[in-house]
Amino acid sequence: MSALTDPKGAIAELTRPEGWVLGVSVAFLLFLLAALLTGALGPTYFLFLVGLAGMYALLSFGLNAQWGFTGLINFSVAAFFGIGAYGSALMTASGSPIAGGYNPLVGLVVALVVALVLALLIGIPTLRLRADYLAIASLGLAEVMRLIVLNERWLTNGSAGVRGIPGFFKGWPVLSTFPETMPGIRLEVIPGSPVILETAFWRASLNVLLVLAFAGAVYFVLRRAHRSPWGRVLRTIRSDEDLARALGKDTYSFKMQSFVLGSLIMALAGVFYTHLNLYVGPGDLDPITTFYAWVAVILGGSGSNRGALFGGIVIVTIREGTRFLNDVALPIDPAPLRLLLIGIVIVAVMRYRPQGILPPQRELIWPSAVDGGGAPETPDSGVRERKGGGGDE
Amino acid sequence: MSEGALPKDDAVLRVDDLQKSFGGLAATDHATFAVERGTITGLIGPNGAGKSTLFNLISGFYEPDGGTVEVNGTDVTGMEPYQVADHGLIRTFQTPRKLEGMTVREAMLVGPRNQPGESFLRLFASPGSVGESESANLADAERILEEFEIDHLAAQPATDISGGQMKLVELARAMLAEPEVLLLDEPVAGVNPTLAKKLKSQIRRLNEQGTTFLLIEHDMEFVMDLADPIVVLDQGHVLTEGTPDGVRSDDRVIDAYLGGGA
Repeated sequence: MSALTDPKGAIAELTRPEGWVLGVSVAFLLFLLAALLTGALGPTYFLFLVGLAGMYALLSFGLNAQWGFTGLINFSVAAFFGIGAYGSALMTASGSPIAGGYNPLVGLVVALVVALVLALLIGIPTLRLRADYLAIASLGLAEVMRLIVLNERWLTNGSAGVRGIPGFFKGWPVLSTFPETMPGIRLEVIPGSPVILETAFWRASLNVLLVLAFAGAVYFVLRRAHRSPWGRVLRTIRSDEDLARALGKDTYSFKMQSFVLGSLIMALAGVFYTHLNLYVGPGDLDPITTFYAWVAVILGGSGSNRGALFGGIVIVTIREGTRFLNDVALPIDPAPLRLLLIGIVIVAVMRYRPQGILPPQRELIWPSAVDGGGAPETPDSGVRERKGGGGDE
Repeated sequence: MSEGALPKDDAVLRVDDLQKSFGGLAATDHATFAVERGTITGLIGPNGAGKSTLFNLISGFYEPDGGTVEVNGTDVTGMEPYQVADHGLIRTFQTPRKLEGMTVREAMLVGPRNQPGESFLRLFASPGSVGESESANLADAERILEEFEIDHLAAQPATDISGGQMKLVELARAMLAEPEVLLLDEPVAGVNPTLAKKLKSQIRRLNEQGTTFLLIEHDMEFVMDLADPIVVLDQGHVLTEGTPDGVRSDDRVIDAYLGGGA
């Protein structure tokens, strides 16, 4: 699936693990297609899953911009996600205890601004200190945010959550009425099992469009940033902050930029979730969201944007795939099974591939400099793959 | 090169009455000396004399309890390390710092100061200028790697080269930062004799091209051959300062190293 967002990546340049991921992804897509055509998987639900995968990819992108790029340990992914979700929900929902009823674009801006302010508030005292302090402070922040959402009823409706959230495209020309104007379509590829596409399907396809736009934009930004001198300073900080300082880099400022950027992306994931789910509650701020994002980033390969995307998709597959096991008689419930599976995945990755499935492998130099400059035309691949690459005297 | 007795009116680095204590221990005890432009100044002293502490104070990693540090005539006392570096003082570390997941070429490109591409907004607002500076820096990096005769390492993972090669890369990278004065912390510690010789000739070459050096080194033969003048540190203060021969024959220096007279 990673190839979809990276059309330039030619197949010939793929390393072995990349080839594997591509192969498995294609097989998985074919499997999903078969499930769709036979009616085993409802098309609307499938699109919901795609949206959810996009959301987890966004969360992973955000954490990757912090941990993967710079080595910042942020345990408050759920808090920034929650700020995005609640920020836009409270601004736009008819059931909002405060303002409400605004255009979703206003909700988007408000959510991002609040996330920005909070990231600065947490970053200012902790980013000058050792990495551990951000970890501790962010852990506290996540819990504080969850408790505020749960208890400040005048602001958030407390445990009842916020209802009456409009779709993101409410008020837009064409797109706001698109699902209603589309005709129902009946497809019968396999005789006897027709697939019917109705309003709900078209509504869901709008969500997919939205998440693709969000994730695509974020991926573009992160990809460019990662290959830039800016990203190189972040990677230097991750390996050795003192070295970066000795070479004249204002590491505090760089860490702050990385932290804010990541937090904004997480909030963006929350904004999307609000308009996907049309309901937000305090449960959405549970620490499990933070945990999922970490698993996705570590699984995909810290520092790798493609890895984060892949990790996000794997998380959704495990999270939602286990629901289908309800039909199969299993000795255990799907919920604990889900956690068990994720645990097994983490152990397996740590044991057999600690760098993650798709770690960043190529030299990260600004593209135009590599193409036009004196460097070799094909950047060296598999930097992390090789062990003891020779040349030592 | 220079005679140690010259008046230090063209000092690129001036340390005046610098003090730093850890608990009751005065690691730097009213240290005063200057590094004249164009020299290779050696900083020697027995273990625990406070050489590394002094480096950390000068480069801004420690804040001094008293005294001042001047780089190029600017008082940099109490500044952050990156600000000190911005005034032209670059340092290396005793143990080579490893940049995980970078090739030697990438690790080199961290060197240049204030690159346009280090501004996040500029990556999107003017990608052209980022590309231009990156191309120029890349060309510089490859040229310097060639001068250091380590261009064959450019595509190697920066963590997969030998310790001595890392020292060479570190020195090469520091040159990309265009330092006025370069502080080297034990450049040949743990480096095999062939590479040490290479490092020595590189330092000499760079010095002839105008870079001023201040280096800590335990290898007496290396430092006596390369540096002039030499500053001797003992128990946090400057014991004496002079030419290699002068320092070698100074009884106080011999006492400090052999632990006599204490």
